Amino acid sequence: MSRVTNLKISRAHLTSRVKQTMVAILSVTFGISMYIFMNGFMTGVNDTQTELAFSTLAHLHIYNDLPEDNTNLLQKKYGEDKLVNLRNAKVIQYTEGIKNSAKIIAAIEDHPAITGITPQVNVNVFFRNGATKLNGVLSGIDVKQESFLFGTEKYITEGSWSSMEDRGDGVVLGAGLAEKLSLTLDDNVTVITADGVSRNFKVIGIIKTTIGGVDNAKGYVRISSARQLISKNQGYVTDIQINIKNFNEATKVATQLAPKVSYKVESWNESNGQLQAGNDLRNIIAVAVSLTILLVAGFGIFNIMNMTVNEKIKEIAILKAMGFDGTDIIQIFLVQSVIIGVIGGIVGITFGYLVSVLVSYIPFRVATLDTLPMVYDPQDYILAFIFGLITTFVAGYLPAKKASQVDPVEIIRG
Amino acid sequence: MNEEIALSARAICKYFHEPETFQVLKDISFDVKKGEFLSMIGKSGSGKSTLLYLLSTMDTDYTGEITINGECLTGRTQNQLAAFRNAHIGFVFQFHYLLPEFTALDNVMLPALKLGRKSEEEIREDAYSNLKLLGLEAQAMKQSNKLSGGQQQRVAIARALINQPAVIMGDEPTGNLDSKNTDIVFDIFRQLAAERGQTIIAVTHDDEFAQKSDRILEMADGRILN
Repeated sequence: MSRVTNLKISRAHLTSRVKQTMVAILSVTFGISMYIFMNGFMTGVNDTQTELAFSTLAHLHIYNDLPEDNTNLLQKKYGEDKLVNLRNAKVIQYTEGIKNSAKIIAAIEDHPAITGITPQVNVNVFFRNGATKLNGVLSGIDVKQESFLFGTEKYITEGSWSSMEDRGDGVVLGAGLAEKLSLTLDDNVTVITADGVSRNFKVIGIIKTTIGGVDNAKGYVRISSARQLISKNQGYVTDIQINIKNFNEATKVATQLAPKVSYKVESWNESNGQLQAGNDLRNIIAVAVSLTILLVAGFGIFNIMNMTVNEKIKEIAILKAMGFDGTDIIQIFLVQSVIIGVIGGIVGITFGYLVSVLVSYIPFRVATLDTLPMVYDPQDYILAFIFGLITTFVAGYLPAKKASQVDPVEIIRG
Repeated sequence: MNEEIALSARAICKYFHEPETFQVLKDISFDVKKGEFLSMIGKSGSGKSTLLYLLSTMDTDYTGEITINGECLTGRTQNQLAAFRNAHIGFVFQFHYLLPEFTALDNVMLPALKLGRKSEEEIREDAYSNLKLLGLEAQAMKQSNKLSGGQQQRVAIARALINQPAVIMGDEPTGNLDSKNTDIVFDIFRQLAAERGQTIIAVTHDDEFAQKSDRILEMADGRILN
C-alpha cells in the first residue's frame, strides 16, 4: 500500500515538471544512443579491418620454422668448459618447407573448427620484364581452395582467376607490380628464383586488394608450377593455410592442432600482433568515449534530481512528519530516476539504432567499402541499457539519500 | 474528559549548540490527559515550539523521557518513530504543506495509505467524511494548490485526523488564518477533544484562542510558569 503511495508521489513529481523530466530523459537517450552507435561503428571498422587483413592472411598457418639458434652448436655437444676451435662454420643441411603435406592435412582436416585448408608454395623471386627487375613473392596455390579461403577471386580487376587452373604457365600479378613492370594482360614475364632458375609466365590476371604486400610484390601461379620452378616433388609446400569458424579462437585451435603436427602452428594474432592491438585499442576508445557520455548523462540526472529534492524539501519534511520513513523517501526519488533511466534507455536504443542505420548509408569508397561499416550486435544494445540503468540509479540514489536525511524539524521551523 | 494520561514529559532538557551552547528547555515535566485541549503560549524564544517538536518525536536530541499513550518514545530509532507518528500523532502547522500536485482528497488519504491498515476504498471514504466534517466536501477533488489559504489549512487538519491519532499537535495552526477561519478551526479542535477524546496540543500566539482552551501552559526562558 505504502509502495503504491510512494509511486504515486514519484509520478506526481515527474509529471509536474515535464520539461526537466524531458531533459533528463534526453540526456540518458543521448548517452545510450551514442554508446550503441560508437560500439556498432567501431565493431564495423574492426570487422572491415579484419576482413581486409584476412584477404591474404589465414587464421592459422603451418610452416617449417627457421632452425633454432645455430650459432653455437659445438657448445651443446661439448659443454661450456671445453674450448673448441672451429673455423668458417656452415649449416650444411636443413629442410626447408614441409615435405609431406598430404599427411599433415589428413591429420588435421577433421578438426571440427576448421572450415578450409589450402597448401601454398611461396617462393622469393625476381620478376623481370626486359630491363626492369623487381623483387617479389611467387605464390603457388590451389586455385579453388585459395579463393575459397581468402576470396582472392573477387579482387581480380582484369583477366580471370579460374583460368589459372587450365594454364600451368599463367600468372596473376598484383596491380602495382604489373604497373611497375609495364605489364598488361597477355604479356610475358620472366620469373627468376634464388637458385637462378628462370621461367616465363603469361599474365592472365591482374589483382588489386589494396594491401601493398600483395599488390606491389605478389604473383600467383598454380601450385604445381611453383613446385616445378624450385624442383620440389609432389606434396612439397612451404605453408599450409587454415581458416576456422571463429577467428577469435585461433590461438585455442592452434594449441589443439600443435601436437598433431611436427611443424610450427601459428595463429593470426600471434604473427600479426598489430592487428589485434589495433582492434583492442579501437574497442577501448569506443567504450571510453561512450562511458564518458553516459557519465555526463548521469551528472545531468544527478543535477536534476538534486534540484527536485531542493524544490520539494518542504514536502519531504511533511511526509516525514506524517510518518514516511527514510526508505519511503529514497524510494520516491529513486523510482523517479529509474523511470527516467528506463524511458531514456528504450528511446536511446531506438535512437541509437536509427543513427547507426543512417550512418551506415554514408558513402565511403575506400578499399572494398562502399559505405561506412556498421555492426548491429544485440549485446551492445543490452549493455547500453544496463549501463544506462546503472548510471541513472547511482545518479538518483545520491540525491535520494540526501532527501531521506532531511531533518523535518529544521525545514518546518524554517 | 477522563483522567487517563495521553502524554507525559519527564525532566526534559534541551540544548542548542549553535552558535553557542544554550539551554532552551530546563527540566520540564508535565502530563496531558486524554481528551484535553492544551494551549502552549509564551514569548518568542521561550522554548514552546522547541518543546512541541520534542513531543512530536521529530526532534530526538534531548534528555529526559517522553511517553505517549503509555509508550516510551525516548531512544527509539528514526524509522520506529516515523511509524509511531504515522499511527498516533497528527500534525497541523502554520503553513499547510500540502502536496500541490495532489487533490485535497489524495492529500488527506496519504498518511492512511502509508499506515496501510485499511483498504484504499475505506480510506477514501474516511478522507471524504473528514473533509465533510471540515466543510470541504465540495473541494475534495480540487487540486490542493487551487484552494484558498483557509481551505488549505482545513485540508491539512483533515489530513492530520485521518489515522484517528491519539494526539494532535499544532504549531500555530491558526497563524495564517483570519478570525472567521480561526473560529472554525478552534471549533473543530474543541469538538475532536470532546467527542472523540483526542488530545490537542497547540502552540499559539493568539491569546483569545488560548483562553478558550482547557488548559494553558505558559512558558518563559525554558520553564513552565504556571
